[in-house]
Order: sequence, then structure tokens, then C-alpha cells
Amino acid sequence: MHGDNGILPIVEVIHWIALGVMGTVYTLRLIWLFKFPGTRDRQLPGEERGSTSIAVPLFSMGNVAMPWIMESTRKNLLFYASFVLFHLGVALGIILAFTNTFTALHQNTWVASLFMILMGMAFLVSIGRVVRRLVSPVLRLISTPDDYFSLLTLTVWFGLGVAAEAHLVGMLRSEIWLVAYLVATSFFLIYVPFSKISHYLYYPFTRYWLGRTLGHRGSMSVSRG
Amino acid sequence: MSSSMPSHKAQKMMELLPQKLNRQVVGSLLACVHCGMCHESCHYALTHPDDPRMTPSYKADQLRKIFKARHDWTGRVFPWWVKATTPMTDEDLEKLKDIAFGTCTNCRRCTFNCPMGVDTATLNRIMRGLLTRVGVMPEGVRVVSKDTWELGNQMGVLKEDYIDTIEWLSEELVDEFDDERAAIPIDKEDADIIYAINPREVKYDPRTITNAATIFYAAGANWTMASWGWDQTNFGLFSGDDELGAATWKHLQETFKNLGGKRLVISECGHGLRSTRCEGPNWAKTDQDFIMESAVITMARYIKEGKIKVDKNRNSQPVTFHDSCNNARSCGFYEEPRELLEMVTTDFREMYPNRTENYCCTGGGGAMSMAEYTPRRLKSAKIKADQIRETGARVVVTSCHNCVDGLSDLIKHYKLDCEVKQLVDLVAEALILPGK
Ligand code: SF4
Ligand code: SF4
Repeated sequence: MHGDNGILPIVEVIHWIALGVMGTVYTLRLIWLFKFPGTRDRQLPGEERGSTSIAVPLFSMGNVAMPWIMESTRKNLLFYASFVLFHLGVALGIILAFTNTFTALHQNTWVASLFMILMGMAFLVSIGRVVRRLVSPVLRLISTPDDYFSLLTLTVWFGLGVAAEAHLVGMLRSEIWLVAYLVATSFFLIYVPFSKISHYLYYPFTRYWLGRTLGHRGSMSVSRG
Repeated sequence: MSSSMPSHKAQKMMELLPQKLNRQVVGSLLACVHCGMCHESCHYALTHPDDPRMTPSYKADQLRKIFKARHDWTGRVFPWWVKATTPMTDEDLEKLKDIAFGTCTNCRRCTFNCPMGVDTATLNRIMRGLLTRVGVMPEGVRVVSKDTWELGNQMGVLKEDYIDTIEWLSEELVDEFDDERAAIPIDKEDADIIYAINPREVKYDPRTITNAATIFYAAGANWTMASWGWDQTNFGLFSGDDELGAATWKHLQETFKNLGGKRLVISECGHGLRSTRCEGPNWAKTDQDFIMESAVITMARYIKEGKIKVDKNRNSQPVTFHDSCNNARSCGFYEEPRELLEMVTTDFREMYPNRTENYCCTGGGGAMSMAEYTPRRLKSAKIKADQIRETGARVVVTSCHNCVDGLSDLIKHYKLDCEVKQLVDLVAEALILPGK
């Protein structure tokens, strides 16, 4: 466990509570989504490739890990790489938030380096994304205040994550970095279900449903994408 | 009326929205992260680089904003935070009409390029459907919809004219082959094949009917055309009106059942195949309970089974193939035409990209009936013109009547040295008839 600063245990409790809030809101969100009627294609499966099997929906869900499938990622591999870094940073950030009390783990130089490097890269990618969103007329047109706010706060969160990890490994002495990081995480946990960041909650469903429809018709297939 | 109240039409349109919401649609409305990755997949966006409104997510956002304002909790509590808004005036509806009908052919290319699986084309179709229900649509869409409701076909072909044309074609075939068996049967019961066509064929391009009839004759097919319920196209797909879509599809279904056919064969048409083969049963809320297929599959089967003989050397000009968006991206129909092309041509050249990645001919989504958007459509057709030019082909083959019109228009506009044909034309040209 951490040192004697009284604020840290309180912050940790808060962010576990925040996690509970997020879980509850997400559950309500999914209940709401599933209250809308389900659909199915009533036609017989499509020509030779049409399939009612679960393979195509699962394949569609795995789209995120197959940049060669879509032209938009195949032609923008750099953007795809930045997407991977960004989301790896998110994953590590979440792990950090819930494992920071395992000081032995984070005092391991290799572990700490991995966290700091990847979250640091995610931080840089995030700054790049803020700039991209501000500079591109297309993105400016479609962006909402939530889009900007979510991205800016994530950028700050990545930065704080690097500092928190640096604190855990002993590079930064002040505990304030960890406290700030956990407070930011708590804020996120509560904000996320109401923001665009909750897209990852919908991803499996939208991809599954799209894969089911297009797989049934033969427009999407495991062999051809 | 207070200015803070939506107009009657705007209010009505928003009240209709819940009827269109299902899990898949709501998922698409919720999941967009405004990443812009779909931008470069759209032919409108690519050809209008100075107009950010051409990006797919902007078009889908028009529906998304209304959904958020009326159904999504963040949008209801903090609308400005997520740009949730509702149309208030009839002018707002007109603007939505221009976006939904004039800047998107519902080609679904962006859908295939969205990492989140957002089906923007479906969202745009829903917007069209809502507007159509309150009478806001391009004049061409109104006329075609009215014709379909009234006469059961989208080009307002009167039954007498239809029968006259088929009989005239039939007599010519009998004369040509000097054989009564070459006649086109109408309303023959218990036929193996009921052949459904696009009204464009009977009105502007009867040659395709003659070609199909010749192939059926050569194959010794037991086939017929119907005097009613013969239109395999469906303007409900374009107008977004599911009721019209269902009614049109039911005409075909009733005809099929009444005549006791064994297989419905759909002449070459992308939106016709999609509507009849894929969407119709959904709109009509009926499970598909009879066999149907594209005429491309029928023709390929005849060749494979030796029912007809072809000489591919008769089609020796370089040909390329344009995938109709509806065929490829919404029906999974893209290998069969190529298989048939290989059987009846000697110099087939792919255009790139192709199959589900092909670009729209720009005549899709009913665009050919919306004259007010023609300049924008032709500008966006540059992508397709460049694709065709690069193949060096003299013949662009497509399995869609809409695409024939869209491609012919862009070939003229961009002064390409080629013509458009359908597979039925190439098969007829390659057909070896006894004594011919
Ligand atoms: S529709 Fe998909 S690709 Fe386009 S902006 Fe939204 S999430 Fe990104
Ligand atoms: S469906 Fe086609 S035309 Fe419409 S926005 Fe998407 S890519 Fe563009």
C-alpha cells in the first residue's frame, strides 16, 4: 500500500465508487439499447457466400485488429498505428488506476518503463489528435463540444498517468501526481457513459449486427473481408 | 404559433422517428466517434474537397442530432454539448432534403469503411423516409412514388402499353426464328421461371427483353412474364418509404404465387435485386418463401449445364465491369457476374477498386430521377470516370439498369471512348443458335 498521505486512500475509495457508478450507468444504457426491437434479415441467405453462421459477425467484431480489411485503415496505416497506441495507452491507464496499490509491480523498472513509454506515446498521439481535430475543416464541422472535451481530458489523463507511474517507480517524489491521476480517473469513470468515449461499449454490438446482416447476404465474408 | 414550436411537418417527422428505431439503427446512431475515417470513402467528399458537408458523418449526423435531442439522455439534458438539435421550420426540412437526397447515393461505401460499424447509408435512408412521409422530397421522387402506388411500376407504364410492347417483341422473335416457341409467354401458369424486369426495359431499352427472351428460347426454358406484378425495381429503397417498398414487393410475391412459378428470375438491376432479393421480405415483414435469383446466375447455369452454347470470341473488345453498389455491398453479388463475363468475353479487365470497394456510378439512390442535383452528381462522377479510363476498356459492363444510365451520363460528360452494356447483351451476342 501507499505511504501515509491521508488523501490517497480516500481518493482510491472514490475511484472504486466511480467504477461502480460507471458499471451501473452502462448496465442501464445497455438495457435501454436492448429495449429497442431486434431485427433479422428475413430473406434466405445470399448467393454462394451468404452465411447465417456466427463466423462473419465474429469476424466483423475483430475488424479492429485487421487493418487490411478496410480501405480506410489499409491506406492510412500511420493513422491506424496511432489508433493502436492511443488505445493501448487507455488500456494501460485503466490497469494503472486499479493496480497502483501493488507497489512491487510498479516498482519493477521494466513494468514502469512499459507503462511510461506507452502512455507517453499515447499522450503524444492524443495531442496530435487534438491538433488534427482543430485544423481539419471536416473534423471541425462534425465535432461536438463533447468530442473536444473528451479528447482534451484524455490527453491530460495520459500525461498524469505518466507522472503517476514515475512517482510509483520513484522518479517523482510527490504523491500529488498519483492523487491527481486517480481523481482524473474517477472523473472519467463517471463522465464516460455520458460521452462519446462510451463508443467501446457499443462497438461489439454495432460490429456484430453489421456482420450478421452483411454476412447473411454474402457482402462480408471471412475469406474476403 | 410560437416560434419556439416546431412546424407541423417538423413535429410530425420527429414523431415518426421511433417507428424507424431498432437496435441496429440505434447502435449506428450512438457509436460514431467523429473520427472522420469514412471521409475518403465517399465519392462526394473526394470530389468536393472544399465542402466539408460532403463527409459521410455530417450526413448521418442530421438524423443523429434529432435522435440525441429526443431520445438520448445526454442530448436531452445538455443538447449543446453533443450538438443535439431538432428541425423547427419547413425550411429546415428543405435543407435536410438537400442533404439526404442531394449529397448521398446511399451507396454504403462509407459503411464498409467505418471502424465502428456505423451504417451511415441506412441512417441517410431513414432520413429520406421521414422526409418523404411528410411530403418533403425531390419532385422526381414524388412522381415515381406516385406512379408506383398507382400503377404498380415505377415508370408509370400502363398495362396496355406493357402488354403491347411484350407482344410486339414476341412477334419479332417468332418471325426472326420462324418458330412459335420463341414467343414470350405472358401469365403462363406453373412455369419454371417467372421473369421480372425493370420498367426501363419496356419503356426505353426493350433490346434487353429481346436478348433475355432469346436466351430463354435457346435454353428451351419453361418461362413466362407476368401481366401484373412484373416490376422487380422498388422505389421504396430510394425514397426510404418502407410501406411503398413492402407494397411493391408484395406485387411480385402475389404474382409468383398466383402463377404458381417455381423460381423468380430478376433481370439485371442492382437496386431491383437488392429490393426484391434482400430488403423486400424485411419491409413486408414476411419470411422469404420462394426461390429467386438474378438472371446472371440463371444465364451462367445455362452455360455450365450446356443448355446454351456461347462463343466468347464474339465479344473480343476490352471490357471492364462496374459493380453496382446495391449488388456488391448490399447483396453480396459480385463474383457471379465475373464468372459469367469470363465465359462470354475474351478481354476482361478489372477496374480498381472493385467488388465491395467499388465506387458508385453516381446514379444510385434514385439520383437519376433528381434532376436538381445533376451538376453535383456529375462532378462526383469523376472518380468513376477515372476508374474506367484507366482500364482502357471500350465496353463497361454492369449488371444494373440504374448504373447503365449513370455510366452513360458520365461517359458522355467526361468524353470517354466507351459504351455501356449489360451481361444479358454480351451473352446474347455470344450465343450460338442452331442455324445462325
Ligand atoms: S461514421 Fe464511423 S468512420 Fe465515420 S466518423 Fe463516425 S465513427 Fe468515424
Ligand atoms: S453512402 Fe455513399 S454517398 Fe452516402 S455518404 Fe456514404 S459513401 Fe457517401
